[in-house]
Amino acid sequence: MSVEETTTVAVNEALGKTILVADDETHILHVVSMKLRNAGYNVVTARDGQEALDLATAERPDMLITDYHMPQLSGLELCQRLQQDPATAGIPTIMLTARGYNLELADTASSGIRCMLSKPFSPRQLLATVNDVLRGVAA
Amino acid sequence: MLRQGIYILLLIAAMLAGHVGLFAWRDAGAPLGMGRLQLIELIAVLAVAAAGGIGLLGMLSLERKCLAMAGAVRKMTEAGVVSPVDCLDPDLHPLAVAINGWAERSQAAVSTASLKAKEMEIRMKVAIAERQHAESIIYSISDAVLVTDSFDELVLANESAARTFEFDLAKVDRAPVGSILHDPKLIGLIREMRQSNSKTERRIVEHTVKAPGGGRTYKVTLSCFADRANTGANGAVRPAGVVAVLHDMTKEKELAAMKNDFVSNVSHELRTPLASIKAYVEMLIDGEADDERTKTEFYEVIQNEANRLGRLIDDILNISRIESGLVKVNKQPQSLAVIIKEAVEVIVPQAKQKNICVREGSTPIFYQTLADRDMLYQAVLNLLSNAVKYTPEGGSIEIQTIVDEANRTVVTRINDTGVGIPAKDLPFVFEKFYRAEANNRMAKGTGLGLSLVKQIVETVHGGKIFVESTVGRGSSFGFELKLAE
Repeated sequence: MSVEETTTVAVNEALGKTILVADDETHILHVVSMKLRNAGYNVVTARDGQEALDLATAERPDMLITDYHMPQLSGLELCQRLQQDPATAGIPTIMLTARGYNLELADTASSGIRCMLSKPFSPRQLLATVNDVLRGVAA
Repeated sequence: MLRQGIYILLLIAAMLAGHVGLFAWRDAGAPLGMGRLQLIELIAVLAVAAAGGIGLLGMLSLERKCLAMAGAVRKMTEAGVVSPVDCLDPDLHPLAVAINGWAERSQAAVSTASLKAKEMEIRMKVAIAERQHAESIIYSISDAVLVTDSFDELVLANESAARTFEFDLAKVDRAPVGSILHDPKLIGLIREMRQSNSKTERRIVEHTVKAPGGGRTYKVTLSCFADRANTGANGAVRPAGVVAVLHDMTKEKELAAMKNDFVSNVSHELRTPLASIKAYVEMLIDGEADDERTKTEFYEVIQNEANRLGRLIDDILNISRIESGLVKVNKQPQSLAVIIKEAVEVIVPQAKQKNICVREGSTPIFYQTLADRDMLYQAVLNLLSNAVKYTPEGGSIEIQTIVDEANRTVVTRINDTGVGIPAKDLPFVFEKFYRAEANNRMAKGTGLGLSLVKQIVETVHGGKIFVESTVGRGSSFGFELKLAE
């Protein structure tokens, strides 16, 4: 499969899908959004945990990509809160973290976290992970 | 013997003389007359009396000599000095020989005993010196040392142990360990160690001792010491007691935790700009930025984040150097007004971008402080830079310098009309990597700037740093330094 075909497949998968990206670092928010938008996803952004929680409830995104260390609510607290609400429970989540936190497996599994990526990260790898997770969900 | 012989001979002679007289009278048959008979009787009586007198005199002389010899022996006993007893009479020779023989043997026994006593005395002095030596070694150890015997009695302890367990060293004298230490776990450890009778192995246990202001953690090293003079039935050496050495590792633990936090924070702070750089470079490589404007924006982000990384590394190194005392400080009399002026000149263009007015109070130029110019400049610049960062557009910043001639101090204040710092965050703003969460959005920061200012003012210059703030109204950061003499 050529690069163009892969991109086409990805764009097709991405069609109509909305991803919520939460990070307090503007540059990270900007670069992740651009990578996802270029791949055909709709992107909404939040700059802290509380804003992300509000947006998730309002927008019902297909996926959440969140930083761990954020003001108001941490990434883990955000995921736990989303799981408590039946309307937002089950939103697959990818967590980005700069600290390499040793999150308990039980915590991540029960919070809808499908994958952890540590900063510095590759936007290319992030996009591939997003596609994989969404394909897994679709299957 | 000769003397007794003479007495006997004299008696025999007197008796013979008496008999000769009586026989002569009988043989004469005729009256001899009273005069002759009386003479014969008188001779006999005189002979007997002379023999008795001589015998009596001899006995008295012998008794006197015996007493003299006994006196000599008594004097010898009283004086404790052995000397030969003179033989005062040939008849007493065997007695003198016996006494002198005994005296010689006694003299030899006394000499041997006194030699032994001297040796024992020397041994005792050596033992006391050795004990004092051992005690002074134990007393000089900064770790707490407790020594117990085979009955779990405390035989030795040093001042550090007395301080740790709050007991009086004078009461140590073989008191049961349980009556001195009120620490059941440690007492149990000492007892177990003694019972284990381990001659070679040491046991190291981490143990927390209750102390005012929270417990202190100790590394306890327990070892048995053997009593070689006291062996069991099978010839095994019995334990004479236990030595417990307690090393206070509270500070080490705190330092290790601080170091761990620092490394964790540093790595987090370094990863953040690095993550941006890596992501934007990859985006450029992947051709995600399709127009020139976006590309330029990406290049600028990369440049800014690389600069941020550089500043962060500089700040970390500066703080680390100051904290470890490795930094080279060059203190000279400096005019604080000149340093402030230079920093203000750098900050005014940034303030103008946000339409912030910077007012500088007049500071007499001739007041000087003993300071490292570059460091103090950095501290003032950091405070001014923070004031600009956290003051919204159209605000103002004022720099005040107040000299207290009487106390020979100078106080510099930087007041802003910024967002202010919540009261709960104020006590921590000078800690490394601490950032008031509420103001995270206002500006980027490493959380190291104020920590560096505190180190420069307090550690390097011996001054005082302070902060006052009201949310929504502004903050006032300042420092006090001593004026140069």
